[in-house]
This record gives sequence, C-alpha cells and structure tokens, in this order.
Amino acid sequence: MPHPIQTVAIVGGGTAGWLTAGIIAARHQGRIKAGTFNVVLIESPKIAIIGVGEGTWPTLRASLEKMGVSETEFFRHCNAAFKQGAKFARWTTGADDDAYYHPLMLPQGFTQLNLAPHWLNQGRGLTFSDYVCPQGPLCDDGLAPKMITTPEYHAVANYAYHLDAAKFAPFLQKHCTGKLGVRHVLADVKSVNLTEQGDIASVSTEQAGDIPADLWVDCTGFAALLIGKALGVPFKDCGDVLFCDAALAVQIPYDAPDAPMASHTLSTAQSAGWIWDIGLPARRGIGYVYSTRHSSEEAARATLSRYIGDAHKDLTVRRIPIRSGYRHTFWKNNCAAVGLAAGFLEPLESSAIVLVELSAKLLAEQMPANREVMDIVAARFNDVTEYRWGRIIDFLKLHYVLTQRTDSAFWVDNVDPATIPDRLQNLLKLWKYQSPWFFDEFDRLEEVFPAASYQYVLYGMGFRTEVDPLDNVRTESAAKRLFNDNALVTQKLRAQLPKNRELLRKIAEHGLQPI
Amino acid sequence: MTRVVVLDSRAHRELRIQARAAAELGDDQRFVPVVVGEFPLLVVHYPVLLSKDADTGAFYCGAMLGFDPGENLFLGEDGHDAYRPLNLQRGPFYTAGSDLAIDLDNPRVGAGMGEALFDHAGAPTPYLQSIMALMRDLQPGLARTKVFLQTLLELKIVEPMTIDAVFDDGTRREVTDLYTIDKDAFRALPDTAVVELFRRGYLQLIYLLIASLKQVPVLAQRKNRRFLHGSGGGSAASLL
Repeated sequence: MPHPIQTVAIVGGGTAGWLTAGIIAARHQGRIKAGTFNVVLIESPKIAIIGVGEGTWPTLRASLEKMGVSETEFFRHCNAAFKQGAKFARWTTGADDDAYYHPLMLPQGFTQLNLAPHWLNQGRGLTFSDYVCPQGPLCDDGLAPKMITTPEYHAVANYAYHLDAAKFAPFLQKHCTGKLGVRHVLADVKSVNLTEQGDIASVSTEQAGDIPADLWVDCTGFAALLIGKALGVPFKDCGDVLFCDAALAVQIPYDAPDAPMASHTLSTAQSAGWIWDIGLPARRGIGYVYSTRHSSEEAARATLSRYIGDAHKDLTVRRIPIRSGYRHTFWKNNCAAVGLAAGFLEPLESSAIVLVELSAKLLAEQMPANREVMDIVAARFNDVTEYRWGRIIDFLKLHYVLTQRTDSAFWVDNVDPATIPDRLQNLLKLWKYQSPWFFDEFDRLEEVFPAASYQYVLYGMGFRTEVDPLDNVRTESAAKRLFNDNALVTQKLRAQLPKNRELLRKIAEHGLQPI
Repeated sequence: MTRVVVLDSRAHRELRIQARAAAELGDDQRFVPVVVGEFPLLVVHYPVLLSKDADTGAFYCGAMLGFDPGENLFLGEDGHDAYRPLNLQRGPFYTAGSDLAIDLDNPRVGAGMGEALFDHAGAPTPYLQSIMALMRDLQPGLARTKVFLQTLLELKIVEPMTIDAVFDDGTRREVTDLYTIDKDAFRALPDTAVVELFRRGYLQLIYLLIASLKQVPVLAQRKNRRFLHGSGGGSAASLL
C-alpha cells in the first residue's frame, strides 16, 4: 500500500502560514469534514511575525473568496484598503514631474489587440497608461475602484488591497480554525525528526510533544526551520541583481481622521533606493528600501525623515534586513517552503503575498495522493516556483535598468550589464523592435506579471519600441475604437466612483453585499 | 432640499397638504420602496423587486412603476390608477422617534390648497389621522421587511436580474440593479429551511415576489399604450 497523504502540517503562523492553511483547507473541505484529511498549523507562542508586505495583488480577492471569507469582515478587521496599482515617482529622470502608473487593469481590449504600437506611433500626448486604461486618472482623483452597491469581491476597476499584516494573520487564524477545520497547535519546535530516506517524520515540540505529519509546509520565515536547517537546502542570493538589502519602516498617523487617502501605492525613488507610501484607513505605512552598499543607515534615516517631514519626527523607525534571493529547491522530500522561508525580494511590486497564494494554490490543487507520487508533484512545484521567482527578479530589475538617473552610484551601478540577468537583457533587445504582448514568452498559466505589466513599466519609463506605421494600418480602426472606448470609460468612472476614503467609511458602517 | 421638523399643532395649524397624486408633487418615481405588508396589494399591479440603496448598498424592496427615470406609468389626470404604495401616500411626512415629522420644503406643503391637518380646536383632522395610521403600518413594516430580506440573503436565494424591454416605438430599455428570488436556489432549500420560511410567513411573500414578475410585460404594455395614445410618451414623441 502506498503511504497516503492525510495530514499536512504547516509550521509557522504568519501571513504565509495561515494563508497556506486556509487555501489548502478550503480546497479539501470534503475530506476534512469526513475526517480523512487534516490540516494542522504549528505556531510558536514566542516568535513574533515579521508583518511586512502591506501590498497585495488582485489574486488575493479570489483567494479570500474561495476560503469563504467575507470581504466586509476582511476590510473591518485587517485595516484594509483598496489598491489600484502603483505610482512610480522619480524613477526615470529623478525630476519633480517624473512619474508613471503601473495600474492593475489590463489595457483596453488587451486580449484582442495590442495598443502599444499604436500609442508608440501616435500617442496624442498621453502617457501610455492614460492612453490604454482609466486607472491613472482614478488614482489621481483619489477614487475607490467600486461603489457601495458593488457586491463583495466584484470590481468596477480591478483592485488589490493594502492591509495591516499584523492584523491579517490573526484574522485568517480565526477563520481557518473556526470555519475551515484547521487545527492550531501553539508549540515551539525543538527538533525535526527525519526518516532514513530524509523525509520529515515528525517535529518534537516543547509544549505538545511529537507531532507527526505526511506533508510539511515550512512557513517559518527567515528562520527556514525545516527547508533550511533540517533539510539543508541552500539559499540562492541575488543581491548582485537587486541591490536593496535593508528597509527602514515607519507608521504615521493622518492629520485628520477623514484626510484623503490614496488608492494606490506611491513608490518614490531616492538616491540609494526607494520609499514606499501606503494608505491604510487608520494610518500610513512608509518605508525606505535601500542598499547598504550605497548608503549608510544614518543617511537613509535622514532621507526617510525628509520624506515624512517635520511633523512626525519622533516616530519609531523599525529596521528590517532584506536578503534578496530564494531557495535552490522549494520542495524537498516531503517538505515545501512557502513565504519568507522560500525567499524574499524587495517589496517593489508586492510580490510576497501573491507568491504565497500561488504556491499554496499549487499545493492545494496538486496535493499528492500518496508518498509515491509526491516527488513528481514536487518536481513540478519546483519548476514552476523557480520560474516565478526568476520572472519576478527580472521584472523588479526592469524598474532599475530603464532609469536615466546618474545622480548617484546606486543608479549608475544598476544599469551595469553585469548586474542584469541574461534573459532580461535579451528581452530588452527584442523589445526594441516588438512590444511585449500575448504571444510573448509570458505564456505560463498564472504568470505573476503578465505582458501588460511589462508594457506599463517599459513605456511608463520612456522605453521606445520601433514601430513601422505600415504595420499598424491593419488594426488602425479597431485601435481607434478602443482608444475612444477608454476615453469614455474614464469619463464615466470618474463621474461615478466615490472617493476612496468615503467608500471605506461606508464599508465599515454598512458593509458590502455578498451579491 | 429638505427641512424636516416635528409636527406641531400650534405652529402648523394653518398648513395644507396637497395629498393628490401628481408628477409635480413627487409621484414621478420609477421605483418606490415598499414594505412586506403591502405585497398582496402591490403584486396585482406591479413587479415587486429588490434593489440596493445607492448610499448604503443595503437591499430594499420596491414596486416598479415605470422604465425610465421619473416615469410612473400609473399616473394620469385622475391621479394614481392603482393601489398607491404607502411611501407615495405618506407625502411630506416622516417619523421622528414616536413623533410625526413633516418636510416643510416638500412641494405638497403650503398654506392655500389641500387637506388641513388640524381643526379649529387643534385636533387632528381625519386626513392627519389617516397619515398617522399609515405611519403605524409603515414604520414597523420597514423593520419587518429588513428582517425578511436579511433572511433571503442568508439563505442565498436572491439573484441579480436585468429587465430588457423593447417597446412598440422600437426603443429599448435595460433596467439594471434589480434583484429577485433565485428560483433554483429556492427550490433546492432543505426542508427545515422551507418549514421555517412557512412558519414565519415568508413562503407566501416569496411566492408573491415570484408571481409579480409577470407584471413586467403588463407594465411594458402600459407603456406601449401611452405611445398609442400619444400621451406622456416622451421618447416616442421625440422619435416621431
């Protein structure tokens, strides 16, 4: 008899742990209810969660909905807010008026027609994102992406969330244990017990004795207790590509409880990195992500203070180390790593939580029936996950290599070809003559960043793809129609959508309807 | 603008209310909020549907009186040609706690024409008494309706619907943001839930909601008749 997989143990109770538990448990409710499948989460009562990653991807909507979470409850308990994308300021030239949007809506008609060559040929003086998508103006106006009458998880304009990670994990915990039948064990792991084949048989804990399981998920964060310490999978550093290796984070209050709040992440480039600025209903989260090779901590603190202004001088600044990179193997033997245990990258495009979702979903959907087929699933998991990390690194680096800034060594060093992955270099060569679109190599199922994202960053930062106007003739009238559609939709949404702050207040008061 | 004050037999002794149904007095409403107690009276004339309050997103029940904004197809020279929903009958009146309140800026309120509120001795006239009786139905009715709707939502037997109508003048209307009973989900309810609905009197209300959908084509016919007689058919007139 092959050894069946009946118990999945997740070690670590942060965002990664509880999201993974929820996604797996929701997918396997039938068996959990019948008592033939168990999800157990082992959490140390002593270790504090890191709680970074206040930005998410729109995928989180589907993940939460599938877990049976009420979006209204999520907003109310996680200090959550809408995110319609990111605005990148001073990344290209560093000038005051240098900014572009990476919105979450796809360009108009993206599945039928590539508007990029038309914009390149005749942009009518508009930015690329304004030419193809209404979301930039919506963000400029501080509007919400939906209305109070829009059902939970439905969007008028595509959206993700900004959230308070310190509140998100306990919120998920309550849902997972209360609704999804996840068993929660508060215990410190003392040792990891391996079989002769190198599988994890059980963990010995201080408070709850030995806990056995068939499949393990390492969500222990930077400690990487299972995948790193017990199974010895090495870490692949990519600090040579992405230089930022520290963050200074601070939380600042609003001047007034009803102060306007942005529905996008603001990311402003600095001399040795960039500053994130995220609006939650109760506070703003701000942080300077920088390279310690290019800036002292003192200089970085001064940069952060300048950004925040004098009004908030006495706030506590938390320093978070960033070690950019990921594991050589994400699933070894009977242990998969998810979250910071799998790797970490600067939060430039909020890739942390979306990677947790994608990994957890893959685990849930491909849950091996028994130990005999586990290695086949593990090989797939490793292949897909490594591909994803590679593409995220390429995409993050793209933000740096397109800069024209030469005002500091940080920016100059970033465009050094020796620091640019080969694959990205090749793509940049190719994109000089053809713009990224559907038929590009971004064709994997659940690509983290679709070709549209590359378009927004490339053309937002002034990259030019050579376009033969004759090549546009064929689709000229269709493109014109899409352009007009976009102008109309933009006008309509600007008139229709409420202010971001206003809608969040209404959600807190009245809630959103499930249908 | 509204200026709602508590009704006072001294201060408002001389007020007159134009209670008749007329577009210029505020009866020009396409969709009027209703309460469950009215359902039997409503469904013989109107589609009774669910919609969401634009300000709070909360569901409410309403009677559909027309297709275009401000269109009440039941309004004629002789007033309202069917059972008139309580929310239209109430005119300028509100409740403030246990008191009756009035919106002094409502076009029905004046000093000259209409129904008196108080007699010479300051006692309520039969008209005001009828308003007080109406409010006694409407106020608890709103609460009962809310609980009824909450039950439908919890049972997940509500679904969105769009009314798509083509009229004799060739124009088409799509009325959105409407909801009704999801018949498949309703039929699939477990016996315990059905018995519970029956005991609470909700089964009857659900069937009335479903039956009232048959009033949609009747309402469309009513609009078509206006084209025929050329009265009040704004869009038809503009096309011809």
